Amino acid sequence: MRLLLVEDDAMIGQSVHKGLRRFGWSVDWVRDGRAAELALQNEAYDGVLLDLGLPRIDGLEVLRAQRRKGNDIPVLVITARDAIEDRVEGLDVGADDYLVKPFNMEELAARIRALMRRRAGRASPVIALGDLRLNPATREVTLAGKPLALSARELALLSALVDRPGAVLSRSQLEEKLYGWGEEVESNTVEVYIHMLRKKLGADFIRTVRGVGYMVSKSV
Amino acid sequence: MKSIRRELLLWLLLGLVVTVAAAAISTYYQARREAKELFDYQLKQLALSVSNERLSVLPQSHARELEEDLAIQVWGQNQKLLYSSSPDLEIPRQPRPGYSNVATRYGRWRVFGVLGHDKLVQVAQPLSGYEELAAAMAFRVVSPLLVILPLLGALVWLTVRRGLRPLTSVTSAVRARTPAALQPLPESDLPEEVQPLVHALNDLLGRLGRAMATQKGFIADAAHELRTPLTAVQLQLELARWATTTAEREAAFDDLQRGVSRAIHLVGQLLTLARQEPEASERLLQPTDLSEIARLAVAEQTPLAVARQVDVGVSDAVQSVIQGDPEALRVMLSNLVDNAIRYSPAGGRVDVAVTHRDHHALLTVQDTGPGIPIADRERVFDRFFRGNELDVPGSGLGLAIVKGIADRHLATIQLDSGAGGRGLSVSISFPM
Repeated sequence: MRLLLVEDDAMIGQSVHKGLRRFGWSVDWVRDGRAAELALQNEAYDGVLLDLGLPRIDGLEVLRAQRRKGNDIPVLVITARDAIEDRVEGLDVGADDYLVKPFNMEELAARIRALMRRRAGRASPVIALGDLRLNPATREVTLAGKPLALSARELALLSALVDRPGAVLSRSQLEEKLYGWGEEVESNTVEVYIHMLRKKLGADFIRTVRGVGYMVSKSV
Repeated sequence: MKSIRRELLLWLLLGLVVTVAAAAISTYYQARREAKELFDYQLKQLALSVSNERLSVLPQSHARELEEDLAIQVWGQNQKLLYSSSPDLEIPRQPRPGYSNVATRYGRWRVFGVLGHDKLVQVAQPLSGYEELAAAMAFRVVSPLLVILPLLGALVWLTVRRGLRPLTSVTSAVRARTPAALQPLPESDLPEEVQPLVHALNDLLGRLGRAMATQKGFIADAAHELRTPLTAVQLQLELARWATTTAEREAAFDDLQRGVSRAIHLVGQLLTLARQEPEASERLLQPTDLSEIARLAVAEQTPLAVARQVDVGVSDAVQSVIQGDPEALRVMLSNLVDNAIRYSPAGGRVDVAVTHRDHHALLTVQDTGPGIPIADRERVFDRFFRGNELDVPGSGLGLAIVKGIADRHLATIQLDSGAGGRGLSVSISFPM
């Protein structure tokens, strides 16, 4: 899963960036409103963490512009503006959630998971597909009740696929979910992780759609 | 406690009493004089008419006791008393005819004697007669005033109470004011004696309200701004806890240390700013040499300059004694030099100068950093304003502190581009 972090404060940005990557998510970090608009225009993100007090273009303006363009990407506002009016305005402009500073990483991660869950139309925190159970909060995966040990990258790849069962994801789409900016991507990485996942989950779990990409079926 | 009402009542009534007494006394004396003239005239007429009568016509005196307020005596030759209407009275024969006063056993009497060809007729009346008359007349004049006196007192009491009622309403209006609600007191319908007081009170309330609003705004801003460094610290702490390797943990603790330092720096700057608020500063200004302060501040910032490979120095230091707060001026200059060093690239140069211009001491700090865009030059003095230079750590308070201190010294600040249009030049002009 790939997130855009928009935060002008160097320390907060750096910490959130580092912390979220520990959850297996790839995070791109920009520090002003204009860079945020540019990033949103050029890349496909699963969600945005948006600070409001930004240089150049205010966070609320960025959000308003995206919603006007019809972009329905989940947006979690992270801000020091805690007045009721500010929260109401933020949500009314189109934020999906509103988190007031200071916050902690666990809560931020939980809110991101909740956003993703809602977007996928699930109420339960555990993703269930056939015998597979994936809990994004604990990052525990079981197959027919038996726990599976997955690396962070394997988990990220599997999450991306089971998040939208039945949808075909291209190799570059999957690469984006795995890597943020500035991270070296090896050419056959996706194939390597797919291979390792198939060894753990069984060969049929992930299907290859030749010339297009990979998918998991809705009913396995 | 002093009471306007009691005071007014006391003096008004005292004045009234004195007036009434004076009226009574003057009436008494005037009436006595007039009564005396009247009595004397009557006495004289009586004496003349008696002296023309034959002795036998006069009524014989029976009573031994004095019954009447009138006595008639007829004296013959050789001092012989021929007739006395009141022998009991024993008025001696007066040596000369005419008016005289005689002391008798019945008090002082007024005597008038008239000399016939063979006798002396004396007619006498008690002096108390016209004194009583005079007293009665005086009393008649004064008595209505004595009745009016308590009425007047009551009237004064009520009028004063009525007159002071606006004070009572002002008192309850003042009592209703709280630090949260300092709206002005109503000034209409006030007597002109109370209006200036209320006006002055409103003035004070206004200044108090503004000072409170400034303080409240400052506290709100401060609390808001503290969230950012505290959020960073919170996140850094979490990352430190999650660290799995020693290297990771050490890096996380370094980050945490920087986060805490930043929070401490911000708190320090907030305190400095709070101390420069005009209401808060109580230190008196004293003769202070700006060039001395400049040398001090530059020496203080040299370690930072060395660490950042910036050449900092005093380029010109003319002795300039101004009325100033040396500690505040040092803080001001330290902030300016610190800013200049932080925004200068490695190999940059920061010059501090103190010169004279038009009876002003001119303090300039010039750097070779990125400068401040003209559009931002007004706003940089706002508290917590930060430009678009994201990579230079700072509280956004430095220039607000500088502005606060300059204001206290009645100094003006000007921002320009540095030499050759590069960098920033801050000039502060102090009146000398």
